[in-house]
Amino acid sequence: MAMFGTVVTLLLTLLVTWALTRRSTPYVATYHYFSMSIAFSGPQNFQTFGIDLVLHVDHLTVVALLAIEICMIAAIGWHQVMGRSEPGAARFHAVLTALLFAFTGILMSWDLAELFGFWAIGGALTYLLLAHRWGLDQAASRARVALALPFVTDLSLLCGIAWLYARYGTQNLATLLPILHTNPGWTVRSLVVAAVLLFIGVAGRLALWPVNWWITQTVVTAPPAASAVAQSAWSVAAIVVLYRLMPIAAASNQQTLRAFVSAALVAAVAAPLLGLFGNEPRRAVAMVGSGAVAIAAAVLLNGFSVQSSTFAIAGVAAVLAISLARAGAMLAMSNIAGAMRTDDLAEMGDAWRRMRASSGALLASVLVTALAVSGALAFGIQSRSYNGFALGIALLLVAIGGWRVFLGAAFGPLRRRRAFEPDRVRETPGALGWPYWLAVAGAAFWVASLIASWLNFLDGQRHAAPSPGAIVVWVAIAIVGLAACTATFALSKDGALDASATAGRWLGRATAVVFGVIARFLIAPVTDIARRLGDWIPEGDGALGRVANTSGQIALAAARAPALPVVIVLAVVLAIVLALVAPGVAR
Amino acid sequence: MTLLTIVMQNPTPTPASPAGAGIFSSPILLSLLIWLPVLVSVAIAVIPNPRGRYDTLIKQIAFFTNLGLVFILFVAYNQFESFLPTMQYEEKLDWLPAIGVKYHLGVDGPGLVMLVLSGLIGVASVLGSLNVRERVRAYFVLLLLAQSSVNGAIVARDMFLLVFFWGASAIPLTLLVLGWGGPRHSAAAWRLFGYWGFGTAVLAAGVFTLYAVTGGRSFDMETLLKPGLSPRIQIVVSLIMIVAAATRLPLFPLHGWIRDVLAEAPPGVVVVVAGAASRLGAFLLLRTVIAGEPAAGHLLSPVLAALAVLTVGFAGLAALRTIDIRHAGAYLAMVPGGITVLGFAAVSPLGIAGSVLSLFTGGLAAALIAAVCATLSERAQSRSLLVLSGLAPRMPNLAWLLTIAALALLGVPLLASFVAEVMTFFGAFKNQPIGAFAVAGGLAISAIALAVLLRRVLFGAPNTEAPGVSDSSLNETWYLGLLAGGLLWVGLFPGGPKIPGTEVPLFDPGLLNQMTAGISDMASPYVAPVPTPSPGASQ
Repeated sequence: MAMFGTVVTLLLTLLVTWALTRRSTPYVATYHYFSMSIAFSGPQNFQTFGIDLVLHVDHLTVVALLAIEICMIAAIGWHQVMGRSEPGAARFHAVLTALLFAFTGILMSWDLAELFGFWAIGGALTYLLLAHRWGLDQAASRARVALALPFVTDLSLLCGIAWLYARYGTQNLATLLPILHTNPGWTVRSLVVAAVLLFIGVAGRLALWPVNWWITQTVVTAPPAASAVAQSAWSVAAIVVLYRLMPIAAASNQQTLRAFVSAALVAAVAAPLLGLFGNEPRRAVAMVGSGAVAIAAAVLLNGFSVQSSTFAIAGVAAVLAISLARAGAMLAMSNIAGAMRTDDLAEMGDAWRRMRASSGALLASVLVTALAVSGALAFGIQSRSYNGFALGIALLLVAIGGWRVFLGAAFGPLRRRRAFEPDRVRETPGALGWPYWLAVAGAAFWVASLIASWLNFLDGQRHAAPSPGAIVVWVAIAIVGLAACTATFALSKDGALDASATAGRWLGRATAVVFGVIARFLIAPVTDIARRLGDWIPEGDGALGRVANTSGQIALAAARAPALPVVIVLAVVLAIVLALVAPGVAR
Repeated sequence: MTLLTIVMQNPTPTPASPAGAGIFSSPILLSLLIWLPVLVSVAIAVIPNPRGRYDTLIKQIAFFTNLGLVFILFVAYNQFESFLPTMQYEEKLDWLPAIGVKYHLGVDGPGLVMLVLSGLIGVASVLGSLNVRERVRAYFVLLLLAQSSVNGAIVARDMFLLVFFWGASAIPLTLLVLGWGGPRHSAAAWRLFGYWGFGTAVLAAGVFTLYAVTGGRSFDMETLLKPGLSPRIQIVVSLIMIVAAATRLPLFPLHGWIRDVLAEAPPGVVVVVAGAASRLGAFLLLRTVIAGEPAAGHLLSPVLAALAVLTVGFAGLAALRTIDIRHAGAYLAMVPGGITVLGFAAVSPLGIAGSVLSLFTGGLAAALIAAVCATLSERAQSRSLLVLSGLAPRMPNLAWLLTIAALALLGVPLLASFVAEVMTFFGAFKNQPIGAFAVAGGLAISAIALAVLLRRVLFGAPNTEAPGVSDSSLNETWYLGLLAGGLLWVGLFPGGPKIPGTEVPLFDPGLLNQMTAGISDMASPYVAPVPTPSPGASQ
């Protein structure tokens, strides 16, 4: 049923795409979710409040939806074969179908509150998907990151939308964007704050380093199909949302945009670099994908910071290709890891001979991931600029990181281990095609991203074709990375993987130390204060209660006591007190 | 004046309704909501019940009484005129004319929201109490009296009456906790009585202060809560009201009762306390501070924001640290109250509207999280988070209900708390941006606490040394499902379901539509002036 529903959605999307090719304006439909009058005076924008379901379908929407649907179909098809032993099949497919509904809503939303609604639904469903394996401690432990960390960034998105509403009184992009600089009382500072909050909110789900932790922590413990969907579909949805919200950041100031570009550059370099630390192949694939997405995001952000350019859409086009390729890489790598029963590259090998289809799909996916950004970079980045240099390093690292995973799994000896016989490693029929077709679809999107007409179709503007030389330069950087990695592995595969393993242990230790320090000096004292307050306040009022009880008992005893002795005692006490207090009596 | 005479006298009629309204008309509609449970409780108290032979009949009587109240409420809700700024279904009788006390009842939009909440909570509490086996008659007598006093506090338009019902609600609930609570029932009951009694005394002090400064002629809210009072008096009275509200909602640092009470009380009582009785604190703030003392409302909004921040932050941290699931549920039940108060601190029309809706959603969400934790601990025969682990496969119903409760606290869309939180945050960012950011941070801590709770209790590896577990029974699923269903219904149809393609409402006119009556009036002192266009950008 889940597959049927997704296929039907795909066909409907294709139908709408065809219809859109025959018109120049997007489809827009508005439905009232609710509307209420809250004031009869004051600024008109603030006299009513409502959330409308504004469905805005343009070329970018349908293309992004196509990419997500292809990914979902492949994930469902793969899971039906490879995920047969996973518990809760009905629950899995139901959540996946609901997630497709959420992504459709995100891509079609033109009202920011509506967008946040679908965004939060998608977030909750993603958590349920990544925490699918009930009963496994490690899966549950890592999945809590998938709830908590993106929720923090989602709150930032909500705060940004609320901030904008508080200043402008509207959350419909169609009415908000034209009044960014004309609404009475607008300030640059308010736009900067809104832009920063929105960027953090989107960056969380785009899984830009360092907020990609919710992906890398669950990449092994979640069902592979779930992890593939979470990585690829969210990167598509988030990059489209970022593209649509960027006019707000562009309306603030250049410093803000440059800061965003710098953040994306750091993420683009850090993610694949950290992916080289350690030998978990699926984590490495996730980090490489995150780095590639960060490169595309940097192109998009740079596009808005250079006011005369229109090539920001190239970044979106690159992510469409990357998303499918990284999903294909994840599924192919899961095939190999499942067959070889290990998540350590050092224990893998010889997949090219034993599992030709999966390793071929992995090869194609890794190549597409590495090359997918070359078109965007050719469109939007000067290779001789500071940004170009940083992105060149990032591209090199992405190529090295992805190729390392392929070489580690595909070549070299597959050694016998305890309870593992290499000769039993073989492909599982029925699941072979899905990663391969994802790679092919990713390649198709990559090729399209090199063509200016495709970008014209996506955003309805005219784009100049990039120079072939620029494309060659960026492709060459990726090829250099592939060559460097090949040379290293050819010299000594075991040495290279040992170095990665050692680096991974250092990184693990450093991470543990950092988190230990945070836990010891920040989390523990704060929660301890809360716990002590939680105990101290009831103890305090318990003591008050005992005092009240004691005073009541004294009062009762006094009431029962004979009157004359009590009066005499009281008189004596009063006399003593007066003597001490009044001047001229005792002193 | 005897009770019978009061009932037989014709009260002041409600304002004229438009033609076509009024399928069901009763001049004593609000009195029915208060005194019907009292009459039924008296009837239950006097009927013989040798050796508990009629326990089932008593439970059925209590259930159908609450169902009847919900039916009355449903009709009143549908006939409510959302465009009228005045009180509706008013009843006014002289009670103690020498001191200006009237038996004055009335309801506006926020009051109607509270009544709907109270109705749902009433039914849920009876369903959640079906497992009670000991002294059943006494239990349901006290439960009905508690519901009656909560309804009375909601609809009271005379401050003397408000104090009466406010204080009256503490007694049956204290006795319920004392008589049917867990191992530490005595401490919990005395703590509840101490805090709520202190709150009642403080509220009485505030009311009598207002009575004195307004001439000592009447306790009517329209007389006492006049915006014309001097700012100094408004501030003093508002501070007193904040203290009274903080003991009830509760707000940090006057929250000392909630952990023990929600941890020791039986599930049915937990629902009433967390769902309806505690919301009276926020309702008091709305009536007295926000609507009645706008000058003080403006000046004290930072105080309210600070209380909201401390409450939400403390609740999340304490829930993160505790190893008792019922304590965790109790702490997390404080979060919706903090968000409600943030909306009041916003002192903007949207923030106030969000807080009114948050009264409803927060009541349901708080009741749901506390009740689910209570039921789960009973079914798993343990409260310790060190023992409870990996229960989801063996308790699928409770697993889903706990998950829905967690999502409701976080304000996930499709649940009514999303709409309330969006309105609250959107309204708060204008005037209290720091408070709003801080509450969002507290909400993030609560998200972490919920993630840890769900991981530990539901999705982790099963503990083979734990006692045997069983999923929720039918009545437990129903009462928890009712609370979750209320959140889902208003979340899906905040404006009420409509015939597709039209704006014609189906059987529900929409809570958001009905609650608007009176909000514009309350919020009018807080409307921001129209800004003048600036000639250029200002840095």
